Amino acid sequence: MTTQANNASEGKILILATESCAYPGANSVGQAHSSYPANTYILRVRAPALFPEKFYLDCFEKGIGGIIIMACGEECPYEGAYTALAKRIDRVFQMMKKRGYDLRRLRLTAICTVCNRAFLKEITQMNELIQELGAPSNDIEAAAAEAAS
Amino acid sequence: MASDNEKKETEKETAEEKIGVYICHCGGNISDHVDVQKVRDNIANLPGVVTAYTNMFMCSDPGQELIQKDIKDGKINRVVVASCAPSLHELTFRGAIKRAGMNPYLYEHANIREQVSWVHDGEKATAKATSLVAAAIAKTRNQEPLDPIRVEARNHTIVIGGGIAGLRAAHDLSARGIQVALVEKSPFLGGQTAMLNELVPTGEKAGDLIQALSRQVLDDENITVYTCTEVIRYEGYVGNFKLTLKSSPPESKKDLEKMALLADKNNPSREFVPFAGIYPARVPDNSEEMVLDTGAIVFATGFQLYTPRDGEYGFNENPEVITLPDLIRHLAEHPSSGRALEIGGRKIERVALIHCVGSRMIPGIHEPDADGNLNEYCSRTCCSATLQAANQIRERHPDTHVFEYYRDIRTYGRGHEEYYERASDNHVMFFRFEPEDPPVVERSTSGRHPLKVTVKDTLTFGEELEAEVDLVVLSVGMEPSNIRDLVEMMKLPVGADRFLQEVHPKLRPVEVANTGILLAGTCQAPMDVGEACSAAQAASVKASILLTKGYVELDPFVAEVDPEKCTGHGLCAEACPIEGAIELQEMEADADKVKRAEVIPALCTGCGICVAVCPENAIDIKGWTLKEYEDMVDAIVAI
Repeated sequence: MTTQANNASEGKILILATESCAYPGANSVGQAHSSYPANTYILRVRAPALFPEKFYLDCFEKGIGGIIIMACGEECPYEGAYTALAKRIDRVFQMMKKRGYDLRRLRLTAICTVCNRAFLKEITQMNELIQELGAPSNDIEAAAAEAAS
Repeated sequence: MASDNEKKETEKETAEEKIGVYICHCGGNISDHVDVQKVRDNIANLPGVVTAYTNMFMCSDPGQELIQKDIKDGKINRVVVASCAPSLHELTFRGAIKRAGMNPYLYEHANIREQVSWVHDGEKATAKATSLVAAAIAKTRNQEPLDPIRVEARNHTIVIGGGIAGLRAAHDLSARGIQVALVEKSPFLGGQTAMLNELVPTGEKAGDLIQALSRQVLDDENITVYTCTEVIRYEGYVGNFKLTLKSSPPESKKDLEKMALLADKNNPSREFVPFAGIYPARVPDNSEEMVLDTGAIVFATGFQLYTPRDGEYGFNENPEVITLPDLIRHLAEHPSSGRALEIGGRKIERVALIHCVGSRMIPGIHEPDADGNLNEYCSRTCCSATLQAANQIRERHPDTHVFEYYRDIRTYGRGHEEYYERASDNHVMFFRFEPEDPPVVERSTSGRHPLKVTVKDTLTFGEELEAEVDLVVLSVGMEPSNIRDLVEMMKLPVGADRFLQEVHPKLRPVEVANTGILLAGTCQAPMDVGEACSAAQAASVKASILLTKGYVELDPFVAEVDPEKCTGHGLCAEACPIEGAIELQEMEADADKVKRAEVIPALCTGCGICVAVCPENAIDIKGWTLKEYEDMVDAIVAI
């Protein structure tokens, strides 16, 4: 599968997009034929509050370069889910810090069904970041080296 | 519900996964940018995949039959379709799978059009499509058969808006045996149609149509009409919505102006009042709230007319500049047959009609409103309406000359083009302008006519032509009604043009993504009266399809506890935001009394907060499990 190397070499961005807002938002970008980097993998979720802290850390361990949670924000159709998510992401940041991951690899954003520009901006920024940072394992090595020096 | 034996049989059949993968060309929409054959080759040997095909149109009958044949032949027990956005065809394929006798939830959809071929190209697009299909295959491996949740549906529909579309929808719903509440914000039935005179292309009186339809509605025992009433709260789901309505005395300037046309506001009547509508009930003295339970909601909230900005073609600066609705009303209310048109005692020898005012606006050329909105769409009805007015003037008042200033003539409907031809026969003079060089309206200094219109006319190859006129009429377009409150309350999808957006313009033209909410008429897009009635009838049929079975089936995506794994610590119940959706129940386990979590499916919203807090991973959302997501990530990383 020779074609597969193309996207893998650029690092991969996982996007958790809510079924009610960001996922149709991503489709709206498609309908507008607005191009963006192809190393982006959108998973449709009902509410990202489903994912425990470990899920995010495992993703980085597996080599995912960046994760953008595209939620509904305050428009979340599930009562209490966005607040629970925001608190959980705070804890994920603390755990990432402890492990030595660059915190910018995880973004929590709100994207609506027609937020095309915001969608493209988030992806561009995350892509630039992961090109600069390289694989997540680099962060841990760099943090370990810093601790040793 | 499946019997125990059937369940065992299904479990046996689904134990070893046999996955069929079907990749769509979408006519070229996908295959022009993604090498679909290569995607097929890339995934054909992944564990569990037994068949993999590409097809020109998977959503077509032959495409669906491909899946159904493999199911019936016993070749597959899981399905992955890679095509357009799941919002378009997830239900199509679930239906096809179900009809072939397989559980419709043993299926996963990979979106390789909106999220791949329309945004990426070449090898990268093919590589991404491969990853997404592989992720879908990974997810489907662990899928389990699910049964939809069946809930009773109320045989009742609320129609919001009492214009022609709302009246038409209410009447048709009732004819199908559905109880209807017709909710109208103003004191009048008839909406914007009541503000018209003759309709294109038949010349019928708008008032006659409104009167006939309103009588049918008001005489119908199945329909309750609530005027001066708005929807202020909304909850529930298809089959079981609960809407709070508030009736209150009219306050808006428009309503009060229409009230002034009534002979006696204490005496409601079924007679049509021109340029107001039907006044079927007295206005309330006080505000009052009530709650209605309903099964479906039809939106017939209509449109509002564009108001030209101050100074736009001299509007609000010159009393001789009016809008087309003003002219229509004047012509209806003054049916004189004088050789020249007269307005306010003033003889109109020359009138200029300007098209596309507030429609087909172009960024950088036209000025957006205070919220930054531009009406970039065509309002679709104004060309015919303008030509109709031009003909009426020329045929009734032959001494009044008519000049039309247009960008393009779009008389698109059946019988509409004839108005254009008639206008030529009636010697209406046409001038064509480019959007960047619109006509300029100024006061004239000659003393013969009060206004002067100057235009760079492309019909005479860009010559600048001046015409002195007595009246300028602006053909204003349609804008979406201000229903922001309802949109936010019900979380309705709105298009870039700010009208309500259907799921698919061709395949599901009157449905929105929120199941049970349907669109009737100009709340969706500019339409003429005939099209609005067509949409209203379509919405009625869709509501009827949803409700007349007596029940609705909801997706079974709710939490489920694995009692083997649950240790009863209750973290899920603590985290759950819905009162009573998860309860700790005492039960026997190995002769001991233990507590175990139990989900009440009817209350669970399937948000998944409980999943994240369970250290044993003993609770999961059916159809969207954490393990399925982990498998998808593994597949994305692996390829």
